[in-house]
Amino acid sequence: MSTAIKIRGLNKFYGKKQALKDVNLTIRTGMFGLLGRNGAGKTTLMKVLAALLPKSEGEISVCGRNVERAQSVRKIVGYLPQDFSMYPNMTVYEAMDYLGVLSGLNKSRRKERIPELLQRVNLQDDSRKKVKALSGGMKRRLGIAQAILHDPKVLIVDEPTAGLDPEERVRFRNLLCEIAEERIVILSTHIVGDIEAACENIAVLDEGEMIYKGTVSDLISMAEGKVYSAEISKRELEHLKKEYAVTSMLTLGNNVMARFLADKQPFASAKLCEAGVEDAYMYLMQTKGGGISCSDNYL
Amino acid sequence: MFGQLFIKECRQTAKSLIFWLIVLGLVLDFSTQLGGMEIMSAPVEGQEEYGYHASTDEDVIIESALGALAEEYCRKNYTTYPIGFYKSVTLSKEEDRRIGEIIREASGLDGREEVEQTVDDWYAEQEQGETPMTSGGCRLEPAEGLTYERFIELMEEADDILGGGSKYGDGYRESNAQVPMTYEEALEEYQLLIENDRLSGGYARLFSDYMVIFLGILPVFLAATRGLRDRRAGMQELIYTRKASSLIIVSSRYLAMLAMLVIPVLALSVIPLMQCVRFGNSAGVSVDMLAFVKYTFGWLVPTIMIVLAVGMFLTELTDTAAAVLVQGAWWFISVFSGVNTLGGGMYGWNLVPRHNTELNWRGYHDGFSQLAANRIFYAVLALALVIFTAFIYSQKRKGRFVIRGKILADRKNKLKA
Repeated sequence: MSTAIKIRGLNKFYGKKQALKDVNLTIRTGMFGLLGRNGAGKTTLMKVLAALLPKSEGEISVCGRNVERAQSVRKIVGYLPQDFSMYPNMTVYEAMDYLGVLSGLNKSRRKERIPELLQRVNLQDDSRKKVKALSGGMKRRLGIAQAILHDPKVLIVDEPTAGLDPEERVRFRNLLCEIAEERIVILSTHIVGDIEAACENIAVLDEGEMIYKGTVSDLISMAEGKVYSAEISKRELEHLKKEYAVTSMLTLGNNVMARFLADKQPFASAKLCEAGVEDAYMYLMQTKGGGISCSDNYL
Repeated sequence: MFGQLFIKECRQTAKSLIFWLIVLGLVLDFSTQLGGMEIMSAPVEGQEEYGYHASTDEDVIIESALGALAEEYCRKNYTTYPIGFYKSVTLSKEEDRRIGEIIREASGLDGREEVEQTVDDWYAEQEQGETPMTSGGCRLEPAEGLTYERFIELMEEADDILGGGSKYGDGYRESNAQVPMTYEEALEEYQLLIENDRLSGGYARLFSDYMVIFLGILPVFLAATRGLRDRRAGMQELIYTRKASSLIIVSSRYLAMLAMLVIPVLALSVIPLMQCVRFGNSAGVSVDMLAFVKYTFGWLVPTIMIVLAVGMFLTELTDTAAAVLVQGAWWFISVFSGVNTLGGGMYGWNLVPRHNTELNWRGYHDGFSQLAANRIFYAVLALALVIFTAFIYSQKRKGRFVIRGKILADRKNKLKA
């Protein structure tokens, strides 16, 4: 049986609006990052793969199962939505147990599996705590535990690190990497740092179109020789922003150390730098996507 | 999977505040209506009165209907219950003239003055004890030669003029003709209660009559809140992506709510059953110990079933609490349309069939096939609605049929525009 997700010619329309445009993709075991700004179509793609939304056109098979056979796909897919919670008055264990029953696990299997998973997500001491008493990070970890409760072959996580503090974010990424050793994990995010730290293979969506698919290192190599840095005054920064896509900057007293994209050295003090994933993503959005917005600059 | 899910859903219901409010409502209903109930003793000859019953005597039916029509004609105001709602009717000059003609043909009284005088005289005679005591209002003698068929035609015409639902329409004419029971009639009724109903059967009907009123509305709150809980808790998609089929999810929720609602009803029924048993032991009556269980499942469960099913179906369909409004309207109509059938025996297709007496076994017996058809119809309709609910749920799991999502998206688009 196939262990990959195969997407061919996928189109998705919401009325007249096209949310996904001719998406072709193969995803194999391991962490796979799906990157794109808000509204790029990532959540739509995730939901179509989780059989939560019908596709308009195209073919999708999830580990050999046609996505249209929702019941069959649900058995092998775990899903953590972007916005989720659980019955607030249930304890952590009760919530897991309830979802375990819905996943078709018998009592003995649930008794064995739930403590094991709570330990894995470091919630073993909170099993009697009510869901409403959990912090955002704890809820996310509980979300992951419920998503892999039935040991799915595919785990789909949509924007899992949004709203988490840096420590929780690192812990969460590490947890996903561990889980991805034995299954396909699709991580959808608009935070480039998550992808850089966790994924080898990625795809970039922009306005429903897949503008990149490949490895992170290949994406970085696309931006090689295009990333410069320069120490400039704050007054000059405004002019620089109008001419070039600024990917990051660091304030140094009255000056700013700016990092930006350019095809060739723009002025003498600008130094060529080694490209990072964030630079490469910005370069990709500038060249193949719908341009760069202020929010993409993170400024 | 179903059994485990059913138990989990029962636990969820038991932890819900709305469930306990419903239980409180049922307890209040029981304690206010049946809390002070005493088991009826055999009638004793020479008692002041033995109660009333609807007469089947054509003369009594004619006199009662004519008396009521004459009184309302004098007041120039008529009370009707079209589709069960109270309505005060005032007629136009032409309609008033026609009612006067109907009274003249049926009773021989010509003109409002003569009618008023006759009604006043009748009440004066009542006060002096010169006419037999009646339940309800005035009685008028029919005109000489008036046949029952012609009387029916005239009353139907009067009912049409009044817009339907009057005391002169089909069914209401007969139930309006209340006459006092004789000792023999009262004794016969009592014998039927003891022998045919084995005492507890009659009280189980009375218990059902009171409980069915509340059970015709309260379960919809439970169904609506359960239907909305997943979305409010942000848990919809976590459940949608599970292996369990939509039919298992929906039916386990439905049956869990049904079971949890039947438990307090059965628990409350133990109180009147014990009263019956105590009375039966002292009076040597063999009480039917299962009567309350039979009536709970036969009379009350179909109402709980359909109310829950309507609640689940409309909540799943609209993702709102619209079911409460719809069920509220249905309940209101049902309760008011049952006002004229309180004595039992006329169950029709009412959601809340009434039988507000421990007596009238004969009425129950005669109306049993209609009652059975009524109860079976609602139970089957409820199951059909549960299947429809499961279908809608399965479509929503696949991202189809999301009415609320579309409405919200449209609103957002308009706001953006």
